[in-house]
Amino acid sequence: MISNALSLMILLPLLGAIVSFFVGTKAKFVALIASLAPLVLSLQMYMEFDKSSTMMQFVESYNWVPSIGVKYTLGVDGIGFPLVLLSTIVTVLVIIYSWGETKKPNQYFALLLLNEVGVLGVFTALDFFLFYIFWEIVLIPMFFLIGSWGGPRKDYAAIKFFIYTHVASLVMLLAIFALYFTYQLPDGSRTFDMLTLLKATQNPEIFPPALLNIIFAGLLLGFLVKMPAFPFHTWLPDAHVEAPTAGSVVLAALLLKMGGYGLFRIIVPMLPSVDKIFVTIIAIIAVLSIVYGAFLALAQKDIKKLVAYSSVSHMGFVTLGAVALVPLSIQGAMFQQFSHGIITCVLFMSAGTIQHVVGTRIIADLGGLADRMPKFAVIMMAGFMASLGLPGMSGFVAEFMTLTGAYATLPVYVMIVVFLSIVITAAYHLWAMQKAMFGPILRKYMDVHDPHAYELFSMSMIILLTLLFGLQPGLMTDMMGTAANQLLQPVVTLSEMGVI
Amino acid sequence: MYSDLAYLIVGLPVLAFVLCLFFGWHLPRGGGFITVLATLGAFIISFGIFQEIYPGDIVHQSMHWFGDFNVGILIDPLSLIMLLMVSLVVTLIHIYGNGYMNGDPGAARYFAEAALFSAAMLGLVYADNLLQLFIFWELVGLCSYLLIGFWYRKPSAAAAAKKAFLTTRVGDVMFLAAIIVLYNNLVNLNITLNPGEYLLQFPVIYAHIAEIPPDQLTLIALGLLGGAVGKSGQFPLHVWLPDAMEGPTTVSAMIHAATMVTAGVFLVARMFPLFYAAPHGLTAVAAVGAFTALFAATMGLTAFDIKRVLAFSTVSQLGFMMAGLGVGAAVGAFAVGVSMFHLIGHSFFKALLFLCAGSVIHAVNTNDMREMGGVGKYMKWTMYTMLIGSLSLAGFPLFTGFFSKDEIIMIAYEYGIAINFLPYIFLILAAVLTAIYTFRMWFSVFTGKERSNYGKHESPWVMLGPLVILAIFAFAFGFAAQHDFYNYLDSNFEHYDMDFVELGIIGGHALIEEHGAAAEEGEHASAEEGHGAAAEGEGSHAIPLHIQLLPYIVALGGILIAALFYWDRVKKFDPSQVTGDKDPIRKMLLKGYYQHEIMTGWICEGIVYGTALISNTIDIKIVDGWLNWLSAWVMGFAGHVRKVQTGVVQNYVTALMLGIVVLVIAIAAISLAMEVGLI
Amino acid sequence: MIPLELYILLASIMFTIGLYGLITQKNGVKLMMCIELLLNSANINLVAFSAYQPNMNGQVFALFSIALAAAEAGVGFAILIALYRLYGTIDLDNINTMRW
Repeated sequence: MISNALSLMILLPLLGAIVSFFVGTKAKFVALIASLAPLVLSLQMYMEFDKSSTMMQFVESYNWVPSIGVKYTLGVDGIGFPLVLLSTIVTVLVIIYSWGETKKPNQYFALLLLNEVGVLGVFTALDFFLFYIFWEIVLIPMFFLIGSWGGPRKDYAAIKFFIYTHVASLVMLLAIFALYFTYQLPDGSRTFDMLTLLKATQNPEIFPPALLNIIFAGLLLGFLVKMPAFPFHTWLPDAHVEAPTAGSVVLAALLLKMGGYGLFRIIVPMLPSVDKIFVTIIAIIAVLSIVYGAFLALAQKDIKKLVAYSSVSHMGFVTLGAVALVPLSIQGAMFQQFSHGIITCVLFMSAGTIQHVVGTRIIADLGGLADRMPKFAVIMMAGFMASLGLPGMSGFVAEFMTLTGAYATLPVYVMIVVFLSIVITAAYHLWAMQKAMFGPILRKYMDVHDPHAYELFSMSMIILLTLLFGLQPGLMTDMMGTAANQLLQPVVTLSEMGVI
Repeated sequence: MYSDLAYLIVGLPVLAFVLCLFFGWHLPRGGGFITVLATLGAFIISFGIFQEIYPGDIVHQSMHWFGDFNVGILIDPLSLIMLLMVSLVVTLIHIYGNGYMNGDPGAARYFAEAALFSAAMLGLVYADNLLQLFIFWELVGLCSYLLIGFWYRKPSAAAAAKKAFLTTRVGDVMFLAAIIVLYNNLVNLNITLNPGEYLLQFPVIYAHIAEIPPDQLTLIALGLLGGAVGKSGQFPLHVWLPDAMEGPTTVSAMIHAATMVTAGVFLVARMFPLFYAAPHGLTAVAAVGAFTALFAATMGLTAFDIKRVLAFSTVSQLGFMMAGLGVGAAVGAFAVGVSMFHLIGHSFFKALLFLCAGSVIHAVNTNDMREMGGVGKYMKWTMYTMLIGSLSLAGFPLFTGFFSKDEIIMIAYEYGIAINFLPYIFLILAAVLTAIYTFRMWFSVFTGKERSNYGKHESPWVMLGPLVILAIFAFAFGFAAQHDFYNYLDSNFEHYDMDFVELGIIGGHALIEEHGAAAEEGEHASAEEGHGAAAEGEGSHAIPLHIQLLPYIVALGGILIAALFYWDRVKKFDPSQVTGDKDPIRKMLLKGYYQHEIMTGWICEGIVYGTALISNTIDIKIVDGWLNWLSAWVMGFAGHVRKVQTGVVQNYVTALMLGIVVLVIAIAAISLAMEVGLI
Repeated sequence: MIPLELYILLASIMFTIGLYGLITQKNGVKLMMCIELLLNSANINLVAFSAYQPNMNGQVFALFSIALAAAEAGVGFAILIALYRLYGTIDLDNINTMRW
């Protein structure tokens, strides 16, 4: 197998981004190749991935700045690898979907590839310094995507997105520094190594509870804003609505998962060591995200904003599963992340296609589109059904696992509220579908037609993927199950695992 | 041999789905024959399995799926009879559909969706674990949504489909909650499973019901009942069934008469041991069922759309079935056999009635009974087959419906003796009304003068054939199969590791009467505890003769009343003497007890949507508002601070000088203080 | 010898006059003249101190300072001429576009 596969996987899109920036209108071909390569690599890694192993796999570690203890360490396990696969798949499909982009395509594709670089880095970095660098790298391409190719309020949305998430990341950075400065290795030096620091947090002598609570709160804030969780979710609707379709897809499918990834990698191991009040707080936040997000989606007039709020609601399940601290619920939450990443692509692509073909996204103005866009209608319906949790698709399996696990530790009224939101979720999805697709065709839409082949292709690939993972969830849940069990054990560092 | 092919029972219709979806447009009649062949194949395999395992064997196959869950096939008496009925009725309806959908541009889509539905329903019936049942349950709901909204260009059809899906979703969520509670309880029991066994499999559940705390059992039972209420259209989640008539008539026959709606009853039957062991579980079932039976029957009296009458009738008959299961509190597992018998019989004659109605609608081109009348002159075959169906539904002696309804009413009577007579009263009243509205329909449509100008031709043989076959079943199934049926189903729960007496004790029941199943007797004798006072040993009650005669009187009397009002030949009374358009009761019944206004108007648009709008306002003004306020404040503050940069050089110089002065004074002061010793 | 305090007093009076002029004058040329006053007051101080010292350091330093003052005056007047060409005036109160 190729050595340093992870570094190669991160490097290739970077090179692709640079090349496509200079190529002009041929950028889409360069971008496609540059995104297919990581996909091939990740699929090959999938074949070699040991699903029952609790060790980090494909680890690479080099000294970077030894004087301050920064190392370039990459590695994947059951938490990060599904997301790596998700990133590579989604980027390819997004590039195919954007095949027809005419405004500054060289920059457009370059930015999409840069996003992939950042996201892949976040999911594989095992050193806090490196993690933070990749975390922040993601902000810049997204800012430009929203700010240059976006809708009417793009400037407001781009700045809001950037500053909001950046401030939260800074708080997270302070917490990281606190971790760094508190822990000293036996020989007196300090380290940014993620697993080492996490293991140290489980030792109350090194990290007294008061300090640990503050650090935890800082890290938590960074991740909650990214996920996004109520009440830090308000950047999402604006950013999503104003972003171009590909930007929205990448934002929803990949960037939000960064928050979830942080939740599993960093927050969950620390949860047993901090004050119990945090569990209650996070559980309340999760439930409110689910329910509040669902009600908000119901109230929206713009279909893209509706989908954006549905993302808030679905990511609430991830938070819920993570905080319940039961292997089944953590596994379900990880799978929900993965599943939502796939399904939300088709939702935003549908909204984008409607905007592109029909000219408006306001649901009340749409009607009878299935008459003129039959293939698209089938795909959109499949996507919406997947999003509301129809069995046979991945969303149901994820929600079922999350709720079943969560019932074990969370109080009953929490579950009742969540069940209510499942009905509301079905309601807004069906309402949007029915109003847009069914009913008599409006005269002004008599000329619309099915979208381009490349758009249909990417969307149908998504549907196939969600069917695949709905019928055979074991492909992903096996490694997630191993990781979930591992998360509830004490942290094992890389040197203890023997992989360095 | 056939048992090895059991997976094809679902596999063949799925194949048909794929073929029709992708190639149906190119095939004649939209690929309808593929669907027919697929379900016919499923029937042949089911019948083969029936030959192999009747009367004492079961088929159980299972395979690991993911995590702690499996997929599997469980064919015991309960699922076998359902398999046979579903595959047969669905095949007949698909044959009929080939004629009915002839010429419709969306025929391929219809047959694809119908094939998917067939697959899902068959899969539901022989699922070996509760999760798998739920998955197929939802898929059946999806197909129902697709098929009700088949003519999607009609806004009313799309709205009806959405209503169906959402209403059943409420029930489904309760079902899901029940599964989650059950699973967690089973996990807490720390059962050691044999390899190949999984927690949610039915045999495993049956074996451990007794160990689950009773209050959890009641919770689970209520959740399962919620799911059944949604799917089977019981009160209060019945509102979607009448609107579901927007779909093609074959859809109404297939889904909303014979199969999907029976899934709810099937679920309760499948989980009957759990309901039996849950305190008050069966009481809830009986209450819901009996109430719905009467409630829906009253609404059937005033409807003038032929399909709506049949829809209300379906709801009412499902109520009978639910009540039949519910009164199992008094008679034990025998109730399952009784209810299922009515379920199977009802599927036959209700499907027949719907298909006949479809035949009439196809010819006459309207659903409104007020525009029909005298159709019998032109459609003899339809008239006679529908007569058979109607007689069966009304419970005319010797027809299928009589045997099944009679038995339910009898066990309701026994329940009345033991516990409460309300179900019995409700069911008797419902039976009267059933006979009345059924024949109101038949007389209005087929007899009398034509009330409008309609097309006058009989339907083609591809449509009449299934009618005849179903009519034979609707007539003969009752007396031909009754006793074998009860015996076969009574043995259903013997295949599993559970003790009904023990379950009954947990549930607080006293077994009043023993029917058929020999197993119960042995366990009765050995039971020492129990409710000392009541039950054991009281033996069978002799049911008084007038009670036994009552169903006959009810059926015949109801038909007579309907004849007196609607049959021109013997017409004595006119409906307008009893009620008119201004009658408030009639208005209430016509409007369905104002449920649309209450549910859609107040609850959905009022409460739910209102909450959504309030949340939206909160989000924009408060949650987002503080953010915008913060940024506005920062910008304002910056706006003030930057006014220091005046651009005038002298100001800068002044500032410089002042700064130096301050600095010098400060240094002097500090050094002075240091010398003096303050710092 | 004249007491040192008197030299310092002279220098500080010159400095104060120059400073006052720097802060209040509107005319650019007058501003330059006040800057010269400031520099020269410092020079007087330097020379005075050097008179009371055995070495010549103060006077040498004063020479450097004069050279610097000349250079700075040259640059200052060049700026003033450029400003005059741009704005048509050297009234410094009106030249305030580089502001908030």
